[in-house]
Amino acid sequence: MSKLGNIPVQAKSEKKRTNPLARVFDELIQFCQSRSMFMLHYCTGCGAIELPPAMTSRFDMERLGIQPMVTPRQADILLVTGYVSVKTLKRVILTYEQMQSPKYVIGICSCTVNGGMYWQSYATAKVLNEYLPVDVYIAGCMPRPEAVIMGLRRLMSNIENGKGNAWKDYYERYDYYLGNQQHLFGDDWQTPVDVIGEAKFYDLEGEETYGEHTRTLEQHQEPLEAAVMRVKL
Amino acid sequence: MASFNSISELLAQLLFMPMLAFLLGLVMVLMYRKIAARLQRRIGPPFFQPVYDIVKLYSKDTQISHGLIHDIGIVVAVGGYVAAVILLPVPGMDGIADKGGIITLSYFLMIPSLGMALGVGQCANPNGSIGISRALTAMLAYDIPFIIVVFGVALHYQSTSLVGMIDYQQAHQWGIFEMPLLAAAGLFALQGMMGKHPFEIYVAPAEIATGPMVEMSGKFMGGLFVMQSFQFYVASVLYTSLFLGGGANWFEFLLKIFFVVEIPMSISFLFPRYRTEDMVRIMWKWPVMLALIGIAFVI
Repeated sequence: MSKLGNIPVQAKSEKKRTNPLARVFDELIQFCQSRSMFMLHYCTGCGAIELPPAMTSRFDMERLGIQPMVTPRQADILLVTGYVSVKTLKRVILTYEQMQSPKYVIGICSCTVNGGMYWQSYATAKVLNEYLPVDVYIAGCMPRPEAVIMGLRRLMSNIENGKGNAWKDYYERYDYYLGNQQHLFGDDWQTPVDVIGEAKFYDLEGEETYGEHTRTLEQHQEPLEAAVMRVKL
Repeated sequence: MASFNSISELLAQLLFMPMLAFLLGLVMVLMYRKIAARLQRRIGPPFFQPVYDIVKLYSKDTQISHGLIHDIGIVVAVGGYVAAVILLPVPGMDGIADKGGIITLSYFLMIPSLGMALGVGQCANPNGSIGISRALTAMLAYDIPFIIVVFGVALHYQSTSLVGMIDYQQAHQWGIFEMPLLAAAGLFALQGMMGKHPFEIYVAPAEIATGPMVEMSGKFMGGLFVMQSFQFYVASVLYTSLFLGGGANWFEFLLKIFFVVEIPMSISFLFPRYRTEDMVRIMWKWPVMLALIGIAFVI
């Protein structure tokens, strides 16, 4: 039994699954998750230009159940389309942490794979999956809409087979990701989302959830306070 | 014994009518997305897409709740429509329609917006607050012509019972032929009530990130999807009962409700959206004028 505040919470592993149809439900849910994906496109670079044709009448993503969503709370996929500068990466991470699990990240274009043509840049985060768990990379400069849809289909088949679990990695190996983030943003880097708290609450802690970087975070962490609402008269 | 039978029959209807409404509403949601796709020359979603969406949203592993009122707000929003559904007669099932009447129904139709306002209020997201203030203003805009239309129809039939109205229309003539102006005004109000273009400023995906729904994740969004399917069903059945003579049998009934709901859906993708104040101005001018002239003819 873990605790959230004063309320005892039953963790998932302690629950016994007595329902004989549990596996059937699991498969149904995985199928539905793979057939219905809401996509938040964080269009950072030139790859964004390939998304409109993939969404509209020529290639029509909606026939695969993929549709754009505008707020991270409702989105399942975070599409990062192109190079991520250090400043942008902060926003990408904030957006990613606000999304609800299961959540998936797709890196489009060579820039997210290895920095692409910005490989020498001092201001660009080169390899996206050092900072976020990436499910599928779609390489190319830029990949055509066919390639984008291929990548999305790959993600669909991964989810359907129960292999789209990169989001759990973010909780289980939070120390690794946080370390890389701190390396770029400095030791006082902190997001509004309490990832460790979430990992505890949903019983997703791994051996590498805690480490030296989370200890650094604890030292520098300032408690979050609600923004004061003021009306200027 | 007869009373026991009638009570068990009523209970069965109260269970069965919302379930049926939900299923038909899902088909309407699919139709809405298919119409959008065909107008944009796309293929559109597969047949079970609304089901996939709802199952997926309810099966999210993490859920962000912003508090008790946030949870209750969604229940109120869905519950308002479920309550409205059992007041709407369908062929063979009246539910409690003969006891409720159309005035109760028009009260119930306001509950979902208020429930959503409660739920969104606790999220404390500025986008949500802007969205819900726009939504309530929009409700104020379309409710005035809607209430005038309801009042005019009740005046015409000298009754507030939907069952009585449907019986009268099936015996004599459809309401749309007897009061065409009220029917036109009703269609106008329906467009606003369903929140479709050009009156969907409170959703406004690009500017305020879908407005009231901005903090709704997982099962909350699933609740809103369920609500949307109820909303399509309620709006179309209400209009059918008031102006198109309800349904003598299921085939006729389904044909009519899908025809009615198809009109706002098709119009919806042809227009950009009005600003809130323009929407109020338009709603209070044209449909109100049409409805008042319609009432004058009815009297």
